[in-house]
Amino acid sequence: MATAVDRKLWSQWQREIEAAPPGEQPATTVSGVPIDPLYTPDNLDGFEYDSSLGYPGQYPYTRGVHATMYRGRLWTMRQFAGFGTAQQTNERFKFLVAKGQTGLSTAFDLPTLMGLDSDDPRSLGEVGRLGVAVDTIDDMRQLFAGIDIGKISVSMTINAPAAVIMAFYLANAQDQGVDWRKLRGTIQNDTLKEFHAQNEIYFPPEPSVRLAIDVIEFCTRHVPQWNPVSISGYHIREAGSTAAQELAFTLADGLHYVDQCLARGLQVDEFAPRLSFFFNAHNDLFEEVAKYRAARAVWADRLRNHYGARNENSWKLRFHAQTAGCSLQDKQPEVNLIRVAYQALAAVLGGCQSLHTNSMDETLALPSEHAVTLALRTQQVLAHETGVTNTVDPLGGSYFVETLTRQMAQEARGYFDRIEALGGMLPAIERGFFRREIADAAFAFQREFDAKHKIIVGVNAYQEAERKPLDILTIDHAVETEQVAQTRRVRKERSGEEQRRTLDAVRRAAEAQENLLPTLLDAARARATVGEVMVALAEVYGRCDAAVV
Amino acid sequence: MLDDLLARFGKRDRLALARLLTLVARGEHLDAIRLALAAADSAASRPAPPVVALTGNAGVGKSTLVGKLAEYLRGQGQSVAVLACDPQSPLTGGALLGDRVRMPSRPDDLGLYIRSLAAVSGNQAVAEHVELMIRLLAGFGFDVILLETVGAGQGDTAVRELADVVVLLVQPETGDELQWEKAGLLEVADVVVVHKADLAGAERMESQVRELLTLPGCREITVLRVSSTKQQGLAELWAAILACPRHDARVGDARALLRRAQQVLAERFADRVQRVGPVVDRWKRHELDEAQAADELLQLLIR
Amino acid sequence: MVKCVENQIPLRIVLAKVGLDGHDRGVKVVSRALRDAGFHVIYPGLWQSPEAVVRTVADEDADWLGISLLSGTHMTLVPRIVEMLRAAGLDHVGVLVGGIIPETDVPKLLELGVARVFGPGTPMAEIIDFLRAHGSRTHA
Repeated sequence: MATAVDRKLWSQWQREIEAAPPGEQPATTVSGVPIDPLYTPDNLDGFEYDSSLGYPGQYPYTRGVHATMYRGRLWTMRQFAGFGTAQQTNERFKFLVAKGQTGLSTAFDLPTLMGLDSDDPRSLGEVGRLGVAVDTIDDMRQLFAGIDIGKISVSMTINAPAAVIMAFYLANAQDQGVDWRKLRGTIQNDTLKEFHAQNEIYFPPEPSVRLAIDVIEFCTRHVPQWNPVSISGYHIREAGSTAAQELAFTLADGLHYVDQCLARGLQVDEFAPRLSFFFNAHNDLFEEVAKYRAARAVWADRLRNHYGARNENSWKLRFHAQTAGCSLQDKQPEVNLIRVAYQALAAVLGGCQSLHTNSMDETLALPSEHAVTLALRTQQVLAHETGVTNTVDPLGGSYFVETLTRQMAQEARGYFDRIEALGGMLPAIERGFFRREIADAAFAFQREFDAKHKIIVGVNAYQEAERKPLDILTIDHAVETEQVAQTRRVRKERSGEEQRRTLDAVRRAAEAQENLLPTLLDAARARATVGEVMVALAEVYGRCDAAVV
Repeated sequence: MLDDLLARFGKRDRLALARLLTLVARGEHLDAIRLALAAADSAASRPAPPVVALTGNAGVGKSTLVGKLAEYLRGQGQSVAVLACDPQSPLTGGALLGDRVRMPSRPDDLGLYIRSLAAVSGNQAVAEHVELMIRLLAGFGFDVILLETVGAGQGDTAVRELADVVVLLVQPETGDELQWEKAGLLEVADVVVVHKADLAGAERMESQVRELLTLPGCREITVLRVSSTKQQGLAELWAAILACPRHDARVGDARALLRRAQQVLAERFADRVQRVGPVVDRWKRHELDEAQAADELLQLLIR
Repeated sequence: MVKCVENQIPLRIVLAKVGLDGHDRGVKVVSRALRDAGFHVIYPGLWQSPEAVVRTVADEDADWLGISLLSGTHMTLVPRIVEMLRAAGLDHVGVLVGGIIPETDVPKLLELGVARVFGPGTPMAEIIDFLRAHGSRTHA
């Protein structure tokens, strides 16, 4: 990279900036990282284009995982959807496909995410509220009825019971006559971040990871086009982390999964190409772009140089992005449209492979069809009208963005060392390291907000007295009654003996530490419920009864 | 109002117990509550419940183990009261009391009582006036009282006085393995638990502790490994606690009372200070039991 | 009514996450802010049932209960908790609700006896001032 030689001009600029009155807010990123007024070649000491940056589609992929990026193919526009019964979500899926959406993304309700059946007393009031309720394979069949899952890619956001839900999906595919080798999509299956941030926890950390690896191992062998894990920083960020923490903890989780897969005897090049990632797209445009770029470079370096992966696809970090739910406000909700648009821009400038844009009314309720349509249109405008797709990594070479990218990578490596010093991933979880770091960052931001060092439009500045209520979607309470009745019906119809036999097999496989998927598939076919399978597993694994503070 | 509270307390009203604990924590009506308890004590013939303190460095799993021990004891049919201390900011007086997170949630079980307490950070291992709270819980009828300290190394001797049995928790692979030894903790511990025994290095830790205990001058201390995660070693721990020579908690209580008596007398009735010593001496010579000694001291105060 | 004077009698407040949702960013930030403002904050953890919340409030002799909900179950769970508090003789405990509560539900909650509803983006000072102004009805 060119260097600045003329010190006289530089001093002149320096004098001017020193004489200028300081800004009202200290210049920091949304993560609190101080930002200089100007970046020059001086910030990039030792930066060499070929070795430090390189070309898109080439190691270390800072500029993108594909040579042509969006000139070759646009990102997948994948809106997360799910509410009510399987049939209602199935209708929403068909609506989204009709509007031009190119992939499906399933949100499950809280009971399902927590491994509870709809008729469990703890599920009261939660069934079908924030996503779709899936208790048995019958619900799974209904969810994808009339949709060709051999053609469209399907993402499922589920973690603690991911192996069970995966078994339902695979068994249903088989019933529909769809070859597993044709299935494309992603299951989140990232239990580590649940312990850091999201708190959908059922088993203790060690068996939780083991289950996640079961899914990865099974899919590696039998469902080759499927992404068996989506290593997620999204929720870590939502819980209040900084951008660098999101990056560092997500990659550290990924590295832990790699270690565990290797310990199973898998070869790195067998499974690494199918590891996928999921990041947040927050407000601070350049910081976010730097985060995505650094993520690719750090991951590629580790996989190639530490794990000795030889397949280039093992080095490539592919990611889904979702705009930051935590940035949405309930005051002046239409303003959220604007936030989402900028966040989506960050994700695209950062080279995402797929994107979910939040709907403006999500802090109020589940998104209405109107709001969902606008969110999808935001992506379509970005893709087809703004011209950002015309060139690959358009911010590459910016002194500022390259400096931030470097800083971000350094910070991530610093965190890897700290985690190592605590004895590795599980001991660090045990000691509450991640939660403490995230809570500290969340609190620091709150103080900045309270002091108005950080402005949120419509909330601590530019407030409006009058509120225009949005039309929001409400979930009919009948959904819960209907779903409970459906699950009870399945319990009555199915063969109790089959159900018991298959659950015994699940328990035995867990005790023997065998891969659980084959027995889970049998349990799915015997119409066992998610809750029943989880209880059976807990008899072997134990339950994690408290999320540590 | 206090009379009403005490009357309700006498009828085992749990809300009255909760309110009295609050008053004691604030240092309000201490003498009157003491007096009422002393009167009730001399009327009742029940033996005092064992008071077990659990101490150890932050992160060693004190609340978790207290919780598991409480569940174990409930399984044995014993009612349990827990006093869990967390640090209070000396600057603002505020405190974040999060010990319940790791303790069992048994809303329908009236045999378990958990109270979170703030202890001024610095040199206090437990909240102020804990000795009186213990007496309240004992008076209410709990079979066992578990006391969780803020952390090791602070005010250990106070804990020693308050509890019948002091359990010190250590964990494998902390990197600061011998720090508690410097703090003289082994001198106050009756039982040492190597907690998180499911983690690597637990055996090594156990042998290090045992080695330390062979040093001259060390008392007989039980060392055992416990895993709260795997629910292992709880029965053994409880057996070890019961096997400890019972320090009479009243000793601590009487000492606290003595300090309080001396303080009040010195403040208000300088002429009566010298009359405290003889009462304590008679108690030490077993001429008075604790209740009688306490009674006499209180008489000195209120007369 | 006792007004809480700073550095005098710390108010005791139980902050509870009820239901299945695990989003604890808000409750944690509020916990710390209240601690720093001199309150005694009792945090019993995630997934608290209404029964567990009431037991904690009773045994901890709390002056206030703050309920955090983000999953939309407030109209199911809050009425139950308020009713159970009443049945347990804990009418004097002030109840706050924090989280994502649609505007149309706010009056319904206030009618039930909830003292105040705090939405996302509430400055911490607003919560602190509210609690200080209302003090404790426990120690009248």
